Amino acid sequence: MENTINYGIDLGTTNSAIAKFIKGEVVIFSNPQDMGSRTLPSIVGYKKDKILVGKQARVFAEREPENVKSVFKRKMGTAESFPVKSLNQSKTPIELSTEILKELKTFVNNGDILDAVVITIPASFGVIQSNATKEAGVQAGFKQVILLQEPIAASLAYANMKKEKEMQEGQWLVYDLGGGTFDVALIKIKDGEMKVIDHEGDNFLGGADFDRMIIEKLIIPKLSKEYYFSNLEDAMKSTSGKYNALYLRLLSKVEDAKIILSAKKSTEIEVLGFEDEEGSKVDLEIIITRSEFNEFIKSEIDRTIEMIKKILTKNSLKPTDLQFILMVGGSTYIPYLRSRVEEVLQIPINCEIDPTIAVATGAAYFAATRKKEIIIDSKEKKEYQISINYSCPDTKDKDVLFSARISGDIENLSYRITRADGGYNSGLKKLTKFINEELPLINDAFNYFAFSVYDDKNNIIETDLNSFAVNSTFTVIGQPIPEDICLEVDDYENPGQTKLDLIFQKNTILPARRTVTYPLTRGVIKGSDEHLLIINVLEGTHLSLPEANKSIGFMSITGNQVKRDITKRSDVEITIIMSESRDLTVSAYINMADQEFKEIFNPKARHVPITYLKVEVEELADKLETEIQEASISEDYGKAASLTKLKKEMDIVSQETESLTNDDSTDKPYQLEDKKRKIAQEIYLITSDKYIQLAKAEYTKIKSKCAILIDENGNDHERKTFNDIVAQESAFFATNSPIKIQEKSDELDNIIIKINWRTPEFLKDVFQYLKNNQSRMNDAIQAKSFIDSGNFHIASENWSGLADINRGLLSLLSNRTGDEKKYFQGI
Amino acid sequence: MQEIKKMTIRQDYLDFMNQIFEIEKKAHNLKEENSIQRNINRMKGIMEEDFFKGTPIIGLSFHNPIGETYTETRTDCEATIAGASVEDLEIIEVLKPIIFYAYQDNDKMIKVIAQSAVVIVQSKNINQ
Repeated sequence: MENTINYGIDLGTTNSAIAKFIKGEVVIFSNPQDMGSRTLPSIVGYKKDKILVGKQARVFAEREPENVKSVFKRKMGTAESFPVKSLNQSKTPIELSTEILKELKTFVNNGDILDAVVITIPASFGVIQSNATKEAGVQAGFKQVILLQEPIAASLAYANMKKEKEMQEGQWLVYDLGGGTFDVALIKIKDGEMKVIDHEGDNFLGGADFDRMIIEKLIIPKLSKEYYFSNLEDAMKSTSGKYNALYLRLLSKVEDAKIILSAKKSTEIEVLGFEDEEGSKVDLEIIITRSEFNEFIKSEIDRTIEMIKKILTKNSLKPTDLQFILMVGGSTYIPYLRSRVEEVLQIPINCEIDPTIAVATGAAYFAATRKKEIIIDSKEKKEYQISINYSCPDTKDKDVLFSARISGDIENLSYRITRADGGYNSGLKKLTKFINEELPLINDAFNYFAFSVYDDKNNIIETDLNSFAVNSTFTVIGQPIPEDICLEVDDYENPGQTKLDLIFQKNTILPARRTVTYPLTRGVIKGSDEHLLIINVLEGTHLSLPEANKSIGFMSITGNQVKRDITKRSDVEITIIMSESRDLTVSAYINMADQEFKEIFNPKARHVPITYLKVEVEELADKLETEIQEASISEDYGKAASLTKLKKEMDIVSQETESLTNDDSTDKPYQLEDKKRKIAQEIYLITSDKYIQLAKAEYTKIKSKCAILIDENGNDHERKTFNDIVAQESAFFATNSPIKIQEKSDELDNIIIKINWRTPEFLKDVFQYLKNNQSRMNDAIQAKSFIDSGNFHIASENWSGLADINRGLLSLLSNRTGDEKKYFQGI
Repeated sequence: MQEIKKMTIRQDYLDFMNQIFEIEKKAHNLKEENSIQRNINRMKGIMEEDFFKGTPIIGLSFHNPIGETYTETRTDCEATIAGASVEDLEIIEVLKPIIFYAYQDNDKMIKVIAQSAVVIVQSKNINQ
């Protein structure tokens, strides 16, 4: 057991948070019910069978105030209580605060028993309010509760961040502006002892007021000017008003705009999707500048400044007597607020700590200095024997029924079911013998749920069920594909040749679907017989040559089929779908023509046109001839003999293919296609060692070059990528696939390109080359403008600017002509 | 409970997804025939399957919960209630969609919420 308390809680008016001091650092616990958030809205709601806390309760706060309670912290220590209609009883501020503390306990899921804590309170809290807070802590199950004033906590967070040992004497202000409240406190430290000397505040001032002002001062006037509304403000703000939903929508939009204005000088707010009172459609984009926003909030900021001045006057202080103003609370992100406070008061502002979690952080630092003083009474500990028998089947439906039967002593226990990704939270519900819950699912994924049982203090009770999973992917596992499915594409590196792009990897479970986009390597004129592209879908390893694989889908598109001329480099989207019964659907969408071509291929039939087969056979025969010659020149007689033997078979296939008529309906074309494929595989097997050696030599060369560049100019990411590739070297060499080795060389090449494009010498060389080719640019005026800018960037050593210029010039460089003929497939 | 891998998705990626969602909403309202949805689907496909290749994430996808029932158990939506009634709530407007990131955990595909939806909800009984 830890000897110090270590846990700190910021029990805020609008938001709360919990933190722990662990080995010199403070960790803020995330809200498990609100992904990415580290705070809990201090709101409690009561439904018939459950208690809602935080964001869930906030949704109902404005509309159901009789059942949802917020800002109760202001009433701590008073006799006032809050009537709750759904319960037919009242809740005291202590009871409501207890619920917040109990909810915060559920953020911690590390096995710790939370029995001691530091809870923060406003500087304005007197003895009664402080005792009330302490009582809430006790009711939430903490046996030891220590209180700490919020401005002191924030100051501690700052001091610990700075690790300032010299903070022994001095005074400063803590300026705390949150979503709905403002507090300012004067802090003095003397002989290492920190004290709140004075404080001021306004419980009804915060960031939410700024959002409201944008709507009132900017949006409503603009809408009223451009369209017809008799009293837009009332129609927006009244819950029964015609434009109430619009108001709520705008609040969300202006909050986003406000956040953007902290980083940018202006932003736009889109207002559309409704009609004015005369039936005209509203479609308006309202620009809001930072200076406009500043003007809206100026009076409120000045009000906070007046409160600070009051503190200074009361305490006979000059601005120079203060070291700084420590900024706390989310609204202090606003740049104008910071500059205005500093400018008017002439006291430096300090924004070094995260303003949203500073108080909780400081509380945890303080907790780490306080000893735990708890005596464990073994009689107190109750043993629960809870057993849960449940059913929750896998399904592809949108939701699933969770049914459970609970046995054991369930009195005063409650439960909660949450989905692990943060999308569902049942809320805390009373545990009963039988439970039925409809749980929403994310489709096409595994859904994990946690089932937690709590005692009346929200301490977790161990049961035999902590979590369960629901599979919402395909519940019946489809058959896997026995071979890779590939697409034959033009090989840019070797014009005139083709290569395979992997579409579905072997063992992919059917059905499968994939869309890939390619720039067309050919253009075509509308109405011409020339083909634009050939889509050849092949079955067989993607590491092989295209001619060695089996064609299972073939589609060609010619100029006769397109609605307009198609330009080279425009895009084609190819979608390949393979059903569970292995029917193949190939569709090609030509972006430029907005036309789609689609064909379905049955696995039992083949689809290669005879004209295409003839071309392929001819190419293979040429390739074989070349290989024989190369083997003879290099005096590899064994290989030459094997290839010559194949040539005899090849000649027969060539002759038979040549004699086919283009409308042959016998099995002959299929037999010839199979023979052609087998010969191609043989050629590949006999000659692959040569290509492997070439690929390895190329890889080694690129690796050395890459290693040097990484040493000189590489970053951590590039170094890691390089090391990862090198570590896999023996594995991809062992595949004996030149294509696989080439893939790795290409990856290293990409690193080289990235580094080069940051290197001044390289960029200057590229620029020089492009300058020399200025006459080949498509747009002479634009090219000249780029070149002038490039010269300027070189003079001012702006290398990223020069890189942009080079890219611009490259895009202007005329495409090489005559390439079309070399690219047969068109993709 | 199965540990979910919490990953921080860059805000500009989320902004980009929100923009695709906005375009999809606007395209849906166009009356004249068009093929904009095709481009939108392609953009969605790129973000879901291609863009994050080589990273621990498979991709980002979004879900538009318009018309779905809203209850307080839905922590995938940040709701604001329009009108006075809080019974039988339905999502009538989606300002931001639910965005998921997906990753592979052995043979399982796991999806995690990267952004909760921002929605307006209203009672289904408002006109009764």
